Amino acid sequence: MIRTHDLRKTFRVREKGLFGPRLEKTAVDGLDLLIPPGRVTGLLGLNGAGKTSTIKILATLLRPTSGTVTLDGLDLVEHAREARRRINLIAGGERMVYGKLTGAENLRYFGRLYDVPAPVLRRRTGELLDLVGLGHAADIPVERYSRGMAQRLSIARGLVNDPAYLLLDEPTLGLDAPIARDLRRVVADLATEGRGVLLTSHYLAEVEELCRHVYVIADGRHLAEGSPAELKAATGSHRAVRVTVTNPSPGLTDRITGFVRGIGAEPQLAPTADGGLLVTVHHPEDIAGPLAGAVVGAGGAIGGLEVTEASLEDAILALADGSAGPGTGAGTGPRAAPGPRSGAGAGAGPAAPTSAGTEVAA
Amino acid sequence: MSGRAQHPGGLPSTEALLLPLADRLLPLRPGEPGRPGGPGPVRPPRRPRPPRPAARLIGAELRHAGRVFAAEALKQHRTMFGQPLVVASMLIWPLLQLAATYYTLHPIAAGSAAAARWPLAADPAKLLGFLATGALAWAFFFSLVQSAWNFSYERTTGTLELLFLSPAGRLVLMLANGAGALLQNAWLLTCFLGAAAFGFGSLDVAGPWMYPVVLLALLLPAMAWGALLNSLMVFSRDSTFVYTVLDDPMWFVGGVRLPVFALPGVLRVLGAALPLTGSLAVVRGALLERQGLAALAPALAWLAVLCALLLAAAVLALRLGEARAQRTGGLRLV
Repeated sequence: MIRTHDLRKTFRVREKGLFGPRLEKTAVDGLDLLIPPGRVTGLLGLNGAGKTSTIKILATLLRPTSGTVTLDGLDLVEHAREARRRINLIAGGERMVYGKLTGAENLRYFGRLYDVPAPVLRRRTGELLDLVGLGHAADIPVERYSRGMAQRLSIARGLVNDPAYLLLDEPTLGLDAPIARDLRRVVADLATEGRGVLLTSHYLAEVEELCRHVYVIADGRHLAEGSPAELKAATGSHRAVRVTVTNPSPGLTDRITGFVRGIGAEPQLAPTADGGLLVTVHHPEDIAGPLAGAVVGAGGAIGGLEVTEASLEDAILALADGSAGPGTGAGTGPRAAPGPRSGAGAGAGPAAPTSAGTEVAA
Repeated sequence: MSGRAQHPGGLPSTEALLLPLADRLLPLRPGEPGRPGGPGPVRPPRRPRPPRPAARLIGAELRHAGRVFAAEALKQHRTMFGQPLVVASMLIWPLLQLAATYYTLHPIAAGSAAAARWPLAADPAKLLGFLATGALAWAFFFSLVQSAWNFSYERTTGTLELLFLSPAGRLVLMLANGAGALLQNAWLLTCFLGAAAFGFGSLDVAGPWMYPVVLLALLLPAMAWGALLNSLMVFSRDSTFVYTVLDDPMWFVGGVRLPVFALPGVLRVLGAALPLTGSLAVVRGALLERQGLAALAPALAWLAVLCALLLAAAVLALRLGEARAQRTGGLRLV
């Protein structure tokens, strides 16, 4: 497995011009990560959170300022060359291949750089092109590929050395929905086969679908970790139930409000365009049935009922909002996950798991 | 399957012809780093490979280096010279330059006191031979400057970090990239020798054994030169500057169109530091002045020293450049 301990990376950059003062910019600040085989691990954070720097360190393209990175017990800095045989990186974008070479030639070229034995490479080239749906375009120069095709080839390139660990940095960026879906299937299969996968993506639904464990970082620091469900629960991001009442009245509104407060939540009330009332309730449990029953029992007529599951995006935004609050950047280690963005469920969220195994009140 | 032997245009692919040959010449040994097949059945996570005996390790490294060399050289060749027209233009361009120089120099040199100091200039055939050898050597060395210039663009296309992400030897990559640019010069050399033998009739060679000497005196320093340029340019943000510095000044101080003795002392010292100058001395001595190995030994020795220095400088530039890139994030993902 890939394990980082107290990983730090600082850059010295000039504030402006050639002779301006040098400033230290911390990109990664004490990260402890674990990327085991057979699992897709997510790494999330807003822009500038340190995701790409972390991936570059794991790919041996950056040297950490301090801390350790090991791959199956091998120090990644001391034994970078050996580590490179076992990892590969796929970044979003279609430019990481050679336009003058055909798809098959690109794969054979990179396969030779990785010293893939010739018979294996011959077989694998065809397999990988078929895997990414480019079997028909194997002998066409890449400069004639569409963007999606070139990006799929880039994915095949990342698998050419049959890596034990795969680092995916926004792999579906700009891909059409069906191709992105196929790629997600491929990534899930790769993990099932025993590979360790680290995934960063701005498509949080993708992370939610693929990752069994997610690290959330901000300003290079560990913010929270856990399964998508744990993160959602930790940040109080609950499913939303929306009921449209077609015959609102003050008395009916009071009775609905009373019911909702009775189950530990706060309703959001908003008039609809046709004179009705939209009642929105965030709650960790499925309260659609009881809420509808309460509305009807109070004499209300239901014009619509909608249940929206909480998303990882809600959780990440809640974490990001919290990390931007007072105390951020104080270098105090893992921080508490903040409360939800909406008023519903405030203070009801459980604790956020942290890397240290302790829990911090949300 | 993707294996094929034809370009889209119908010509056999260079890769299809040469890479299988490279794979055959550098055969696999059973039990060597055989990574199992691609995406396939479920398998347990791999463990670190047990240590191998030093001899096997060196053999595996050499085999890997050979495969990387072949792959990189052919990639470079395909990237820069994918179309037959480019190869044809390679011949036309030096010929035009040669003609321009010859018809500029000949009337001046033959009809003035210059011939007293440079007798060769008075003989049109010898002057043509002198200038043609200069054009040939210049084409060899300048193709490497162009190749390095192109290589530096891999920084922006996102492929450079992929090379550094792989376990391929860095120096091998730099050497091979230059060698790729030299492949097509074999065609240029053949044309030159044909023209020299049958056209301007100024060849004066001690024996056929001198042709391999000439070839090596061009190829090896050019490869070392290319490795250094590649090592400098892949990490340099100012490769345009390097390109400019090595364009006109290189032919001027290298003695391409004028004899080195005509240059001021400082320029002669500068010229001596360029492998082009040494190569040209050997090429002209061997092809035009009937010099044998003994006569050329000092020039060959100097070339050997220069090659070693260039390679050492390339290794140093690579180590420093990669270390700096790892420190500053200079190798950026797209």
